[in-house]
Amino acid sequence: MDVEIAGIKKAYSRKKVLTDISFSIGAGSCAAILGSNGSGKSTLLSILAGVRKADGGSFFYRGTDLLREPGQIPRTLGYVPQGDPLMEELNAWDNLRMWYDRETLKRELAEGALKMLGIDSFLKTPVRRMSGGMKKRLSIGCAVVSHPGILVLDEPSAALDPVCKENIRQFLDAYRRGGGIVLMATHDAQDLELCNACYILRDGTLHPWRYDGDFHRLAEAL
Amino acid sequence: MKQTGAYFLAQLKRAARLLPGQILADFAVCACAGALAFLLIAQGASAAEGTRYRIGMVGDLSDSYLGFGIAAVQEMDDSRFMIELLPMSEQEAEAAFARGELYAVMRVPEGLMESIVYGENDKFVTYTAAQGQQGLGTMVMGEITDVASTLVTCSQSAIYAMQRTLADQGRGEEIGWETDKLNLALIQMVLSRGGFSEVEVLGYGDGLSLELYYFCGMILLFLLLSGLLNSALFVRGGGAFSCFLKARGVGALRQVLGEYFAYLLLVMAGLFVLCLPLTFGLERELVGIPEWEGMGAAPFLAFLPVLFPVTAMFAALQLFLFEAADGIVNGILLQLICGIGMGYLSGFFYPSAFFPEKMRAFGELLPSGAAQRFAQAGALGKIPAAAWMTVFAWLAVFLALTALVRRNRMR
Repeated sequence: MDVEIAGIKKAYSRKKVLTDISFSIGAGSCAAILGSNGSGKSTLLSILAGVRKADGGSFFYRGTDLLREPGQIPRTLGYVPQGDPLMEELNAWDNLRMWYDRETLKRELAEGALKMLGIDSFLKTPVRRMSGGMKKRLSIGCAVVSHPGILVLDEPSAALDPVCKENIRQFLDAYRRGGGIVLMATHDAQDLELCNACYILRDGTLHPWRYDGDFHRLAEAL
Repeated sequence: MKQTGAYFLAQLKRAARLLPGQILADFAVCACAGALAFLLIAQGASAAEGTRYRIGMVGDLSDSYLGFGIAAVQEMDDSRFMIELLPMSEQEAEAAFARGELYAVMRVPEGLMESIVYGENDKFVTYTAAQGQQGLGTMVMGEITDVASTLVTCSQSAIYAMQRTLADQGRGEEIGWETDKLNLALIQMVLSRGGFSEVEVLGYGDGLSLELYYFCGMILLFLLLSGLLNSALFVRGGGAFSCFLKARGVGALRQVLGEYFAYLLLVMAGLFVLCLPLTFGLERELVGIPEWEGMGAAPFLAFLPVLFPVTAMFAALQLFLFEAADGIVNGILLQLICGIGMGYLSGFFYPSAFFPEKMRAFGELLPSGAAQRFAQAGALGKIPAAAWMTVFAWLAVFLALTALVRRNRMR
């Protein structure tokens, strides 16, 4: 397996949020992490993205423990947090220029991931005038700058209309089919159709779960 | 480092987008502050011209000598510019005193002049002031009363001596005439007296004139509160951006530095906006600074670089306050409270030399106090190494604290 996660722990003061997180995913896979509000999904993803520090455990990607070598994370992993990491006063181009050099940006807009995300259609629009879907696509565009092997998304389809959700899903599917690993926290049942592995985060540990399209069973499981 | 540079450039672009609005806000604040300062100065000047200590005189004022003395003091002596003696009844004095129209009441007992003339010294003038008015004015009045008592006592001694001498020489019929002559001579001597002391006012803050002291104080207050004008730069969408930056390898300290330098440019722009009307005012001599009199705006332009380190320190302080506060509204409130509080304690509004010792010492410890000392030393032309170190130490502390708060927030 390309990704091997074992024994990740995290506590805030005395409250143990993650007690033992262990799972593995192969290339070209998409895994969903489900859980009720406050169960620790965002904490887990931010640990994997190198934002927070774990109290213990390991996160191996192709033989490298990224928790021990956090300097490797920006090149290996793209992280899309729940809120949009964008500068409201700037347009899409200026936000992307923070991460892409000019030539790469032009190339990506012409034929790469940014073209797939449709960002070229709103390049000059200031972020504050963008719709939620545009912002989310732009956020993903910023995250995939280094062509990462792993894409971690925290509730990518929250508060988006069905068309936007579908656009993002199409991109994630293409990304997965291209050999990337998608790991997302979600509450959206439709996102699960994209995933070939689902886990429910409960009491600080991950429980494998199979989604069969029954939404009521999902609600009960959470 | 490449990502930090890119982040700084992006913040710079944000600052550039916000700059026109911020410059307009700076101009509006400068115009309001200028109008307010003009009104205050004009009002203060006219009030100072018309302010005299009004002292009510009650009791036995019927004696012609006393009446003559009061009239002489009110019409001829220099003290008439400072003290106004108002003969009135006991009831009128009480009412006026209660209304705060009188600074004090002087009560002349019945038979005071006879007591003085015959050397009995058993009647005393009582001087009554309210508890809240026992300040410098009361002290001055005490001194004046004391001087008057001494003058009267000594002059009376001279008169008695003269009367005794004339009586011993058998010239009793001349006593009345000679007494009047001596009285007039004494009064003339007293009223035409020259000053026997000279007061030299050095100023505040180790030799600054009051005008330059306030000039520095007002510029520093503007810089201290400039965070309110630049708050738009701190509007952020939660912590998502910080987390994203961290995931891209830009840690808390680098984030803070990237934001700080862009923010500093905004504050500097505000300082330059403030400088325009000040330069104009100094050039046209609308702003009067005794130390810079007749030199136009040149000394101010030479003084301007002194404000750069202070601006850098205040920018770091504002960045920290916005980071420490939860949300933009709380950030603005915190800026306002800290700005006004620190400005007051460090003597931006009122010379700190008049503060109690402990309060003054506390005010000097604050970053605003360090800025005040630095700017004042700069205005005098020599900044000690300790002042430089203090300003840069505060700057470093605020940047480190901001980074610490940012890191804790992400975690």
